[in-house]
Order: sequence, then structure tokens, then C-alpha cells
Amino acid sequence: MKQVKLFLGPQHPGMHGNASIHMYVEGDIIKKSYLLPGMLHRGFEKTMENRTWMNNIGIIPRICVPEPDPNEMVFANNAETLANIEVPERAHWIRMLILELARLAAHLMAFGGCGGPTGLYTAMYWAQADRDGILTLFEEITGQRIYHMYIVIGGVRKDLPKGIEKKILDYVDDLERRLPDYEDLVLNNPTIIARTKDQIMLPAEVVWELGVTGIGMRSATGKAYDIRKVAPYARYDKVEFDVPTATYSDALTRIRFKWLEMHQIIRIIRQVLELMPGGKVREKALDGSALRWQVPKGQVYTAVEASRGEYGYYTVSDGGIMPYRVAVRGASFPQGLLGVEKYLPGHRIDDAALWFDTMGICSPEIDR
Amino acid sequence: MGEGIIEKDKKLKEGWEGISRFFRANSLWMLMYCTGCCAIELPQAMTSRYDMERLGMGPMATPRQADVLLVTGYLSVKTLRRVIYAYEQMSTPKYLVAFGPCPINGGIYYDAYAVINRLDQYLPVDVYIAGCMPKPEAVMNGFQDLIDGIKNKTADGWKRYRDNYEWYRKNQIESLGELRIKDEFHE
Amino acid sequence: MNKHIESVTEAVKAKFDVLNTEIVRDTQAAVDLKPGDVHAALAFLKAQGFRQLSMLTCVDWLEDKEFQLVYLLFDWDKGVRLQMRARLDRDNPKFTTVTNIYPGAQYYERDVHEFFGVEFEGNPMSYKQLFLENWDDIPPMRKDFNSRAYSDKKFPVREYKKDFTKAGDGK
Repeated sequence: MKQVKLFLGPQHPGMHGNASIHMYVEGDIIKKSYLLPGMLHRGFEKTMENRTWMNNIGIIPRICVPEPDPNEMVFANNAETLANIEVPERAHWIRMLILELARLAAHLMAFGGCGGPTGLYTAMYWAQADRDGILTLFEEITGQRIYHMYIVIGGVRKDLPKGIEKKILDYVDDLERRLPDYEDLVLNNPTIIARTKDQIMLPAEVVWELGVTGIGMRSATGKAYDIRKVAPYARYDKVEFDVPTATYSDALTRIRFKWLEMHQIIRIIRQVLELMPGGKVREKALDGSALRWQVPKGQVYTAVEASRGEYGYYTVSDGGIMPYRVAVRGASFPQGLLGVEKYLPGHRIDDAALWFDTMGICSPEIDR
Repeated sequence: MGEGIIEKDKKLKEGWEGISRFFRANSLWMLMYCTGCCAIELPQAMTSRYDMERLGMGPMATPRQADVLLVTGYLSVKTLRRVIYAYEQMSTPKYLVAFGPCPINGGIYYDAYAVINRLDQYLPVDVYIAGCMPKPEAVMNGFQDLIDGIKNKTADGWKRYRDNYEWYRKNQIESLGELRIKDEFHE
Repeated sequence: MNKHIESVTEAVKAKFDVLNTEIVRDTQAAVDLKPGDVHAALAFLKAQGFRQLSMLTCVDWLEDKEFQLVYLLFDWDKGVRLQMRARLDRDNPKFTTVTNIYPGAQYYERDVHEFFGVEFEGNPMSYKQLFLENWDDIPPMRKDFNSRAYSDKKFPVREYKKDFTKAGDGK
């Protein structure tokens, strides 16, 4: 049969973000495929070299749009390691709260997002409405809905507003009541099961070959490979939570894992609000003008567990007022580029968008 | 006698245009093309809480059937090529709404090597929405501005693009080099 | 410091000609190697449990006239991280691919090639443009590339009638 060239994206309702998959199809089976990234390439790493350390806090959240807070966390963490700043105890707990809320928002978006390629728009509408609740909470805590610039070098920018604990608890109670509905709607839905069960497999060898992290890794290897457990940052070693694992990773498992992780996030948020100590929230990083702040020489890498996997920055300082080099490891870089090239072929065209979705690919962090 | 008919024709034409403007303004289809990060607030604007459909706007999958192109945020040169391609495919009348500071003057990417600084050099913009990123209220407000602009004839970017096509094309070629990439496959 | 990372750095020191080691933080260490030892060391470390190459990146040391390749390895079972660094000559940046050890490095090498101009022999696709399109200057992440000048040359800026930077001087 003749092979036909086909473009999926960038202008395509099924694509997540501004990226494009180029493929050769035979019938409706993909024979060869490549990702064409770079539509969101802003030269972010170069831009960061031309801003001071403190200026950078204002721009870094924009690297990953659905879940911006890990950016702030890793950047602040790197600078604190280089400059030897101790973060106050309360700031650690507030950071955890923010990161978990961001993860919850990202999971909701991704979980509902699987309704797009499968035609189940109800899930998308529900998830967006619930996500909006988190954005409202963020607005009250940080002043912005999407980009918060809240986790700064030395702690967090400001203490939590009064009475926010009750609002957060009310929100998570409400969401927890709704989670069984989500299960009925998506995970027990015969249409979704037909499209995703035993489809779009991710074997453990592929995980190691590509370097896939996050849900893909945990659902294939059967081990709790979560940076929050393996190399805890902030105060994740003081809270109790489980990491769902499996040894059979089809698309349905990976969608279910997002749902299971939402329960754990709610559990963490409750513990954080209960255990959070008082005290100050920001250690002063420097005396004098923040624009002249010099960070000691060094090269350090920090990674946190974002909703899609290991998200990290490699920061190099030459002792100047600006970072000498910042390299971003997007969590979905391996599966987004090499995965599309090697493991998307063999699937059907209509599964391509679902493949993209359940592998947890986020194009702005690939392009930077 | 001849003049009377021309006069009548002109009136009729104006009347028709008024009617079509009314209908255009109340039924806008936006192209689903998320070019940058401001697109993250669009789902909120589209779904239950803000509900864009009460303005008569809905998403449309293909450029040829869409009326509004949303440039949501910064434009890298690579995206700009695709955006120009999509914009030229759309049938007139077409409108362009730019989100955030990046299409106005570059925003935080004023010195980035891959991001353009101002969009109105390359494509005519009808409405700018301020904010990084614009909240759904601002987005809805911007759409309302667009609707008002269509009704009172100020949203005429597509006419400007048609009349000054050479100027726009010259700017596009100056910044982008080649407009069409022949070998987009990695081969 | 973590015992495991200490023993690993000792093992690398015993086996290879290590130029320098550095303790970055509790669970992270850095090892500087000669470029010739990188492949053997990576294979050795992969067998030691560092099964994942988190990232391959590059730093341009303009004053030393050197490129520094950084391989970030992670051991998921022990939770320890190792930076493996090697310096190349800046005027003739050539290296051999490590895709036979870590297949996931393929696109990282392409990335480094595109943004720094380091050539990786044995990586079939590395000479192609990935993120950029019709790029007409030196690789953009090099330190001698001026992003501002390129942007001003290529993309016209909006001119304001009023100078807001001076007018808004708190007066």
C-alpha cells in the first residue's frame, strides 16, 4: 500500500499545545513518525543568562505552562544550595502545599484532557471547573491564577493569607466527594475502556531505554520511583503517602494512576495543613540591592517530581550577578522526542493524540 | 435616471452590509490554535464558569471555516510562519485577537533570539488583550471589544492586510527569511 | 554525605584518571574526567546502578576556550545523583555519541549540537535542525552570541512617543 505523509498539528484540535507530529501512514497505521518541536522555542536558557538571579524568578514559571511551580522550586533550590541559604521550616511546608496544589491542577487537566481525543467532553468540562477552584485558591494565596512567582530564593514570598486553610480543606473535601464520579465517568466508561485497555503499551525496557519518568515509569516498573520518596526534598519525608505502582502499563492504567494520585495529593494537603509549624517564611538572601546579588561559584542540579516526572534545572554560577548557564530538563523530553520517533509507529492515527496525552507530554517544556 | 439607480444600489448595499455585520458579530468561530502560553486560560473561558458561548463564540477546527484567529501569547519565528499560513487560509472577513504583552512589544522576550517583538508588523491586529496572562474576565472583555468593533466597523484588519499586502509581506520576509519551509520532515 | 555516592566516586577514582571530584550536596557529587574516559566511565556507572541519564547538557566556558559536557546520572534505587563532566576544545568541538550506552541521549545530543555546535560522531540525525528553523547565525547558546543584538537586527521594536522608563521615575 502507498505511504502517505500526514501532519498532526500544530493547528489541530487533538494536539496538546503547539507541537506537531509528522508521520507516514499506510492505511490508518502509522509507519514512521517524528515530533517537530520548536514552535514554542523562546530561547529561554539564553534569556535567563541575561537576567539577574532575582529577575529570573519573575520569568521562569513560563517554561511549563500547566504546572509552573516546579520551575520556581528547582530554581530557588539551586540558588539556595549554591549560596548556602537555610530555608525556614514553615516555608518548606508552604512550598509543599503549593507544589501539591499545582500537581492537583495539572492532574485534573491531564485527566480531563483524555476526554479530548476520546470524545468524552464531559470529563474535560468537569475537570476544568474543578481546576478553576484551585486557580481561585492560588489567586488568593499568591495574587495570580497561573504564574505565581511565589516560591522565591530563601523561602516563599509572603505568608499564607488568614483563613485560607479552611478554604483549601473545603475545596479538597468537595473534590474528594466528586472523585468517585470521575471514576464512573472516565475509568468505568465502556468507550474509554475500549479505546485504552491493552492499548498504547509502555513496557519496562522502553522506560529504561528512553529515560521515561513519572507515572509512565511507576506504572511499568512496579517500583515506587517517585523523587518525593527516593530523594525527598522540602519535607516530603515527614508526611505519609503512597505511590501507586503497577507492572502492566497500558493507557488505562496511566489514566487511572492520575486518579489514584489525586487521592494521595489530597492526603498530603491535609497533613501539610495539620503539621505546618509557625514562624517566618523567608530567609533574607542578601544585604543590599537584590539586583547586585552575587551567587558563589558552583554547578548544581536539582530535580523535583512534577506531575509528568522528573523536572530539573542544572544551574551554573561563575560568581556573577547573573546565572552563567541554566539548563532545563523537561519531564517529557525523552518520551516526547525519542518516544514519538521509536514507539509511536505501529499505532493507529486516531490513537496518536491519545498516545501523546497518556504519555504526559507537555510541549513548552520540551521546547523551552 | 441612472443616478437614482446607483443611489438606490448604494443604499441597498449599505443596508446589506449592516445586516451581515450584525450576524457576523453575533456568531464568531474561533480557530483552535494555541500558539503560546496564554492559551491555558482559554479552556476556563470556554467552559462552564465563564462560558464563551453566551457571546456567540465557539471553537472551530479548520482555518477555512473560522472567523477569529487567536494569537495567544508570544510568537516564535517558527510559529509565526504557521500563523501567517493559517491566517491567509481563513476566508474574509477575518479577525485577529492578540493576547498578552508579547505580541505588543515582545514582553519578557524583548531580547530573545527566537521570538518576534511586535505582531502588527506582520499581521493586522484587531484587538489586544492585556495581562500576563489575561484572566478569563479580560479575555471575555476583549471578545466583547471585538464584537463591538465588528458592529461599528473598526475591526477591519483584513481590509488593511489586503490593501497593504506588499508592506506586510516585505516585513514578513525581512524577519523570517523564507516563509514556506519545503522540507518540514526530518529527512 | 551519603555513603553510597562516596563509594561510587572512590570506585571511579580508582578506575579512571579523575581530574577533580566535588561534593555538591548530600546526595550529589561531581566527577571531572578526560574526554577519552567518558564512554568507559558511563558504561561502568550504568553497571553500578545509574540506569538513567537524566540529561546531557553543555556549558560554554568562553574564557578557557572550552566546552564542558555534563552527563547527569541518577540511581533510582539509591536516590543518588552524579554529574560527570568532561571538557572539550572549543575550536574543534567533536565528540563521540553515547547512544550505544544510553539510547535516550540521542535527542540531548541533537539539542547540544544545535545550540552549541558540538558534533557527535555516530549520531545519525545530529546535524539536523530540531528546534530552530532557517537559523543563520552561530549556535545561539554560545557565550559570544549576542541575543539582544540579533533580536534588534531581525525583529523591529515598537517605538513609543513617550519614554516610559524615564518618565516613570517616581516623580
